[in-house]
Amino acid sequence: MYQCDNAVSGILPVLPGNIRSMVAAFSHSIMDKIEEIRIRQGRPLVLGLSNRDVFLTVDGRPTHEAREAYLVTPVDMERLVQLISKSSFYAIEEELKNGFITLPGGHRVGITGKALLDGGKIRTLKYLSGCNIRVSRAITGAASGVLPYLLDIDGGGVFHTVLVSPPCCGKTTMLRDLIRQISNGVQELGFSGLNVGLVDERSEIAGCYRGVPQLDVGLRTDVLDGCPKAEGMMMLLRSMNPQVIAADEIGRNEDVGALEEVLNAGVKVLTTAHGKNLAELVERPAMGRIIRSKMIERFVILGRSRGVGTVEDIIDGKTMRTLGVKKC
Amino acid sequence: MLKLVGAVMVIVASGLSGLAVAGSYSRRPKELRSLRSALQMLETEVAYSATYLPEALSQVSSRCDKTSALLFGGAAAELSSMSGATASEAWEKALEKYYSSTALKSRDLSILRNLGGSLGISDKEDQIKHLRLAMEQISTETASAEEEAARNVKLWSYLGFLGGLLVVLLLY
Repeated sequence: MYQCDNAVSGILPVLPGNIRSMVAAFSHSIMDKIEEIRIRQGRPLVLGLSNRDVFLTVDGRPTHEAREAYLVTPVDMERLVQLISKSSFYAIEEELKNGFITLPGGHRVGITGKALLDGGKIRTLKYLSGCNIRVSRAITGAASGVLPYLLDIDGGGVFHTVLVSPPCCGKTTMLRDLIRQISNGVQELGFSGLNVGLVDERSEIAGCYRGVPQLDVGLRTDVLDGCPKAEGMMMLLRSMNPQVIAADEIGRNEDVGALEEVLNAGVKVLTTAHGKNLAELVERPAMGRIIRSKMIERFVILGRSRGVGTVEDIIDGKTMRTLGVKKC
Repeated sequence: MLKLVGAVMVIVASGLSGLAVAGSYSRRPKELRSLRSALQMLETEVAYSATYLPEALSQVSSRCDKTSALLFGGAAAELSSMSGATASEAWEKALEKYYSSTALKSRDLSILRNLGGSLGISDKEDQIKHLRLAMEQISTETASAEEEAARNVKLWSYLGFLGGLLVVLLLY
């Protein structure tokens, strides 16, 4: 019998009562892990599992027939928005501009609706009609397989590393565990811990609640929660004397600019980027510049060919050759 | 002798009930003023620090007057229990308990009800507007409550005793 796992039970309180009981009934009965809960007004309630998705019926049974499925009502949607915002819509306005908010525990809720513009920029969203709740799970040991390839034992540090993967392949989980292990140190590998500065712009790596990490990110990790990456990395560099700076999802020009600054400051970098492979990443103007400069020493390519979080390849950044690890 | 004791009891009883009525007249403006200042605190929390509503309500309840604390604290407790209640439901629930312990009138109740219906569901500017509207209405009610109190407090505190005295004189 599969218990309703901790991660999902952390999400249940933000679901409206009726949907809550459907999801709870489902997660008690099925072995699959819920990865996403998709709630779209007027359409079936969908659960994203590790390799497929199912509709839910009123009594929490999975089905593939759309007409048996529970249709999300406008009232559900309204309640959902109130619950995820803790009945404080005014407090999440700023976050809504980015299209998502983060729940305690680091679960991310993507939100769609009608965008209201102000001078060409998104001011806020209105008529919210779709939510995607992504269950975040801290998997202790997720990075154990790749860690030996990323440690520079002689130099006593780590290599500059970028994790590359399409969405939903376990990038954040991998990054979190890497940070934890680097921060704690790994005795078996003769690696003592390093001070890690983490810029957690979306609060999903450390899952901070009121500034305190709710997920294990290691003993020597300082977290700047909710801070824009570019500014956060510079702040940490100046103030906290980190040996490693970690941030999620580098992509925009200013992020890459700050990253270059850190690379040149003798601090090691640990970050992630969206992309299927290196060839795709090089095409992106800002990332391409960094890759061509050969500053990054390790690329870890993640995919889901054998389940979420499969390490497809580890590439040495200097020689651009694979280190021959396809089975971590 | 027995008659005298009875007479004293009649006077005391009607005197006390007069005082009770007078008390409720003088309590209402106090309660309204306390509500207004609590709402002012809530507005500050919402407008300047964008505090989440459960937290904002419990902060207000810890700083405001004891009677209003029942309303704000009750709503905060209901919301933070994550039972799935929305802000307006939690507010409504707390409001019922609060209302029965106060000298407020149904007019005051409906102001608070209207406010509850819009708590937390809109952006900052809109929230401020609703809070200001409620405060404005409460101020108006306070003025009329004070006027009523000035007229009635003295009247009722005398009326009770004098009424008792009248009954005694008629029956004696």
